Amino acid sequence: MTSVLISAIKRLHISITPPLRLYSSNVTVTPANTNLTITRKEWAFQPQYTKPREVWIENLDTVEEQKLGLFELHPSVYAASPRIDIMHQNVIWQRKVRWVSWAHTKTRAEVRGGGRKPWPQKGLGRARHGSIRSPLFRGGGVVHGPRSGKSHFFMLPFYTRILGLTTTISAKLAQDDLHVVKDLELPTDEPGYLEELIEKRNWGPSVLIVDDTDYAPRNITAALDNLPHVNIMPVYGLNVYSMLKHDTLVLTIAAAEKIEERILRLLHSDTRQQQRAFQLDQV
Amino acid sequence: MATVLRSQCAFARLFVGKTGQILNNAIDLGVKLAPEPQSALLSKNYSNYAHSPFVTKIKKEQYEYEIVKKPPEWTYVERLLPFNTIPAVTPKETYPSGWIPPREEAKNLPFFLPRTKFHDLPIYLHVTYRGMRKISKIKRIEGDIWLLNDEIKKYLKEKNKRYVETRVQEVARFIEVKGDHVNYLIEWAHTKGF
Amino acid sequence: MGSRQIVEKSLSMLRSLPRISLANIRDNPNCKKKSKRGRAQHGGDKHGAGNKGSGQRQNFMRLGYETGNNPFYLRVPQEHYYRGHHLKREYPPFTLLQLQTIIDKDWVDISKPIDIASIIKSGIYTFYPDQKQFGIHLTDEGLDNFSAKINIEVQWASEQVIAAIERNGGVITTAYYDPHSLFLLKNPKKFFESGQAIPRRMIPPPDAIEYYTSAKTRGYLADPEEISKERLKLAQKYGYDLPNIENDPNYNMLCERKDPRQIFYGLQPGWVVNLKDNCILKPKDQDLLQFFNS
Repeated sequence: MTSVLISAIKRLHISITPPLRLYSSNVTVTPANTNLTITRKEWAFQPQYTKPREVWIENLDTVEEQKLGLFELHPSVYAASPRIDIMHQNVIWQRKVRWVSWAHTKTRAEVRGGGRKPWPQKGLGRARHGSIRSPLFRGGGVVHGPRSGKSHFFMLPFYTRILGLTTTISAKLAQDDLHVVKDLELPTDEPGYLEELIEKRNWGPSVLIVDDTDYAPRNITAALDNLPHVNIMPVYGLNVYSMLKHDTLVLTIAAAEKIEERILRLLHSDTRQQQRAFQLDQV
Repeated sequence: MATVLRSQCAFARLFVGKTGQILNNAIDLGVKLAPEPQSALLSKNYSNYAHSPFVTKIKKEQYEYEIVKKPPEWTYVERLLPFNTIPAVTPKETYPSGWIPPREEAKNLPFFLPRTKFHDLPIYLHVTYRGMRKISKIKRIEGDIWLLNDEIKKYLKEKNKRYVETRVQEVARFIEVKGDHVNYLIEWAHTKGF
Repeated sequence: MGSRQIVEKSLSMLRSLPRISLANIRDNPNCKKKSKRGRAQHGGDKHGAGNKGSGQRQNFMRLGYETGNNPFYLRVPQEHYYRGHHLKREYPPFTLLQLQTIIDKDWVDISKPIDIASIIKSGIYTFYPDQKQFGIHLTDEGLDNFSAKINIEVQWASEQVIAAIERNGGVITTAYYDPHSLFLLKNPKKFFESGQAIPRRMIPPPDAIEYYTSAKTRGYLADPEEISKERLKLAQKYGYDLPNIENDPNYNMLCERKDPRQIFYGLQPGWVVNLKDNCILKPKDQDLLQFFNS
């Protein structure tokens, strides 16, 4: 995959510096003939074996796509093995964790009536009964039915949830549904502009834009107000369900770096204190 | 500070006798420091109704204190705070505990076993069915997993002089070997430089 | 592409497959076992409750009842083998091998004195002060390969462990911490965030005073003169040359000790540590200073 990119770059007639590790973070090397920037990164936890991924940095200023540079992404986050089962587990967890079932049935004690023995025990030739609301009767109480206010809260293991995020992001990148954008400055606040842009660039009809902060420039927020299928969210809201629901995922550079930094930090730190909050006491 | 007090109070309990009691948080630790009580904190006996003083107006609502910004003792505080991320191991001449560091040459092989975040090899033993089933599991495999599987089978066959059954799971990136071969596998991984 | 690298292979396979969405993901086959109520002959019928009697009627006999004859728990008299076990202090073991591991892996700084707080911070050792556990018992597993010059403070150590540490030019002290101090040492961050003043450490209870005032066990209340005599005796007993720590460049660090009333290194009782604003509040009032310094 990297060779395809490099041959594409060669066709564009720009020179790339040889793949040496430069020992200062985020060094931008501007080659001679164009104004493209190629960012080589120095992470706190260097990739050991799997090669880092490279993406184009695109713009949102014009409807036409313009490539502003190349950006490196850490393989632990953006090149994880695609695990459909982990994605499924995360989606089910997200659906169930906050859901409360309000279905409710009455037991034989709650159904109105049925306090009196309907007919004598012996002598009638009928079956013996104690109340007309027993579960055997039509109109009687339900035995093991749903009881209102049942929560389905459970916690998926901490690292399963992290793996869900990395797997989904890697799958999006592998299927060309991930785009890294320089910033979210739009020229107008018309929703039509974004619709045209999405149509032109062949992004899926639904787009999820992830920014690193929870406030965004005015134009984009005004435009997205009237577009229900294009949504913007901060990094802390990133989740597997949203990423799978929206066809395309658009990250800003700052958001991509923040996601990388956070996930790498969690994968390399002792999280037992955090996990203790959700550990079960029962054996 | 309390150096003199230490030696005085060490055997204070022996001198008090059987019936005497020195409380663990007694201010003077059982040794009579001064003939007269010096302040309210040291002297009054509130547990006995007959001898406790009447409640008087509290003179000081709040004790005086000073705020020291950027104190020189802050290094001691930082030493107590937990790690942000697990620190990397600085290279040393020897590791007496038996820990073997990974080598750079390992990255040129067609497969790779990255160390865990605690800098150990990802080789584990799973024991189930009351000890009757032992499975050695190699996790987080990167690169060519089938080649790794062939190498491991060959190596373990030599060591055990028997055929060794393995299970390869490509999607989840692990290999399970039937039996307890953890020590052999760790030896093999160290020779490769992982 | 035909790559044999598993991750590259799977990600490049995805490129020719439909877009992964909520509609085409599923869990592994047979991961969810549907538990339904048993019906009919095998699994149903009596549902494991047997025939008639208290079992099927879910009206069970009390635990220990033996259907009338004198039950075991009444027949056998008490034997007080474990009387008072719930009052005894426990010291969960921490081996010299584990200590060497955390030194090798740089999870503990040997250029500073090591105490129970640094060992817990490394993550390799946990203990529970609320379960009558009173600190670290340094054991002798890994004694032969131990080679590190450290200033360590534990709660219990046997003779050969003391010898192993002193042979390498280190210093070992045994110190007592009361349960409240142990909670502070286990999670200092949580304590600092609570905004309380650092309390004083309490003195050992009567049955522990002997251990912590004797030079043989390097107690923190023992006479330093006696301790140096014992160091020499131990070197002669185990047959190694006692290194001269006075000439060591780290002499000051090796001799650093906590005051018997101090819980943390460098921080005195009475201080309030403010983590958010990076400052320390120290009391100025005479009464308070007298109390905390006593």
